[in-house]
Parts: sequence; structure tokens; C-alpha cells
Amino acid sequence: MSTHDAGPAAGTSAARSPEYRVAHLQDRLASGHLGELGVRTEVRGETVLVHGTVPSARCREDVLSTVREELAGLEVHCDIVVSEPSSPDHAEELS
Amino acid sequence: MIRIAAVGDIHLSPETRGVLRPAFDTLPACADLLLLAGDLTRHGTPEEARVVADEIRGLGVPVVAVLGNHDHHDDRQDEVTAVLREAGAEVLEGESTVVRVGDARVGVAGTKGFGGGFVGASAGEFGEPVMKEFVRVSRRCADGLRASLEKLAQEDCDVRIALTHYSPVPETLAGEPLEIYPFLGSYLLAEAIDTAGADLAVHGHAHAGTEHGMTTGGVKVRNVAQPVIGRAFHVYHLPVPERVGAATEATTT
Ligand SMILES: [Fe+2]
Ligand SMILES: [Fe+2]
Repeated sequence: MSTHDAGPAAGTSAARSPEYRVAHLQDRLASGHLGELGVRTEVRGETVLVHGTVPSARCREDVLSTVREELAGLEVHCDIVVSEPSSPDHAEELS
Repeated sequence: MIRIAAVGDIHLSPETRGVLRPAFDTLPACADLLLLAGDLTRHGTPEEARVVADEIRGLGVPVVAVLGNHDHHDDRQDEVTAVLREAGAEVLEGESTVVRVGDARVGVAGTKGFGGGFVGASAGEFGEPVMKEFVRVSRRCADGLRASLEKLAQEDCDVRIALTHYSPVPETLAGEPLEIYPFLGSYLLAEAIDTAGADLAVHGHAHAGTEHGMTTGGVKVRNVAQPVIGRAFHVYHLPVPERVGAATEATTT
């Protein structure tokens, strides 16, 4: 019997499913040197959406290259923005 | 009126050195103090803490901070705290400080806080040691917050602010996946705030959350995580209640 026809017991294709790969990506973003817990990765049908806010353009690049590496072969939409460092233009009045 | 500037989750590191300073330099014109709601660094290294220190040194307004989970990551939170204190910041963990703004006394009680979840979906002190310890840590943080707010009440403060990293309420988490709420905050913090009383509660940690919330007891809560407010800081104008005792004294003498 070839592994191709082995069915669930052989556990090959399921382990490569987008869900697990996304979970590993999330874990790598959070626990690796990136320490990026503010980036969310969601499976949306056939595609993966990666979004969030990071402190710098360099962080954004690091996240994007990690995403490309972990999710190679999947269609990925990235919407990662860099934190806005400007002063506020108004204050909130608390009564 | 007290002008409170606040921001959390600035996650600084050597590569972002100096990015917030231009905005922070405008603080004396628009605020009386700056609150930092934790996650000031990316990995909690002293090197990153020195970047934060340079960003806040000599700002011209008092700086009061708590640490966040990222500031604990390298397990060198004491060094991080020391570096921030050397730059002039008050760093609170189960402690309080009083800042004088004109004639007013502004009390700030702070703790990092911890997770555990919210009413109806919270963790209990039961089972494996690590699970019990998780809940105990959260309880210790909340107890420290309550005790320091109560201490401020006895120190004749005009307004009292609760400063945490983790959230006391679920409202300001809206936008985060419901499944991770137990890692974003604890109702024990809100219970401490409502028991001891406060005029404002400020927190960070929930990057995808929402700015506005309120405790069951009616204390306004603001999530000031930088990705949430989309600015270097936000400013809140907090009215100072009239001192009934002081006014009476003035008229009788
Ligand atoms: Fe954060
Ligand atoms: Fe955090």
C-alpha cells in the first residue's frame, strides 16, 4: 500500500493543512525572536489573512518574510501596519 | 482639571530609538503627567529598556509606568525597572505614587495584572500546580492594586487612577478573538478597582481591542495600547472634584 492511499491512520496530508501551518506561524511569530503577539493570522476559505500593528517597518519586513516562509504555497493577504508615532490632535473630556 | 497622557505597548527596541521623542516633547504643553501602560519593550532586555529610558528622560512631565508581559520576557524585569527608574520614571507593581499637579494631588496605583478571564468564563484556582499558580498570580496583582488604591484614598488624593497592563474589563477587548480573552485580562482587577474606588482605569495589552470601556461600578476604562489609539499617546481631561472640607475651612477662617 502506498502512503498516498494510506488514509487518516498514516497522518500525512492533514498535518500539512493550512490550520496547523497557521497555528505554527502564530506560535513562531510570538515565541521566536520577533516576540510579535500583535499579529493575527486567520484562515479565510482558501486564503490566509495576516493583519495587525507592529512597532517598525523593519518588524513588518521580518513578519512578512516569516509568513512567506511558513505559508509557502498558500495564498496570503497581508495587512500589517506600522504604529503611528504622532501627537494626538485632541483630548477626551471625562466627566 | 487634570490632563492625563497615556500610552501602552510602545514595544521599543534599538531599531525604533527616538521615534516617539518628538511627540513626547509636546507633552508639557498638553498634559500634566504621562502614564505608560506596560509592554514598553519588545523582549524585556535592559538594552531595549535603555531605549525607553532615553525616550522619557527629562520630559518635563512626571512619568508613571507599569511593566507588561513583554517587559518580563527576558526574565530581567528588575533590571528593566531599574533602568526606567534611573531615567526618572516611577515604576509601580502593587504600589502607588502621588503626583502634584498645581494644588491637586493625583494618585496612581499600578500593577501589571494578569489573565484569568471575566465573569462567567474565568479560570479557577484548581487542579494542576501551574493552573493554580496562574490564578494566584492574577489574584496577587489584583490584591496589590486594591491595597494601593485604598492607600491613596487615605493619602488625601483629589483623583485616583488605576494603571495596569492587563485589562480589568472585557469591553475594551472588543476586536480580539473571544477565545483569548482569558489571556488578556481578569475581572479580579475590575473588582479591586470597584472595591477601592478610582476615577479612571488605564490599561494596554489588547492591541486589537477598543479604547472605551467601563467597570460594573461605573469607573471609566481606557485601553491605550498604541495600535488601538493610533497615536504616540492620548490625553484625558479628568475634572478635579471640589474639596468640600477645604472650602468650608476657607469660609470659616
Ligand atoms: Fe503589547
Ligand atoms: Fe502585553
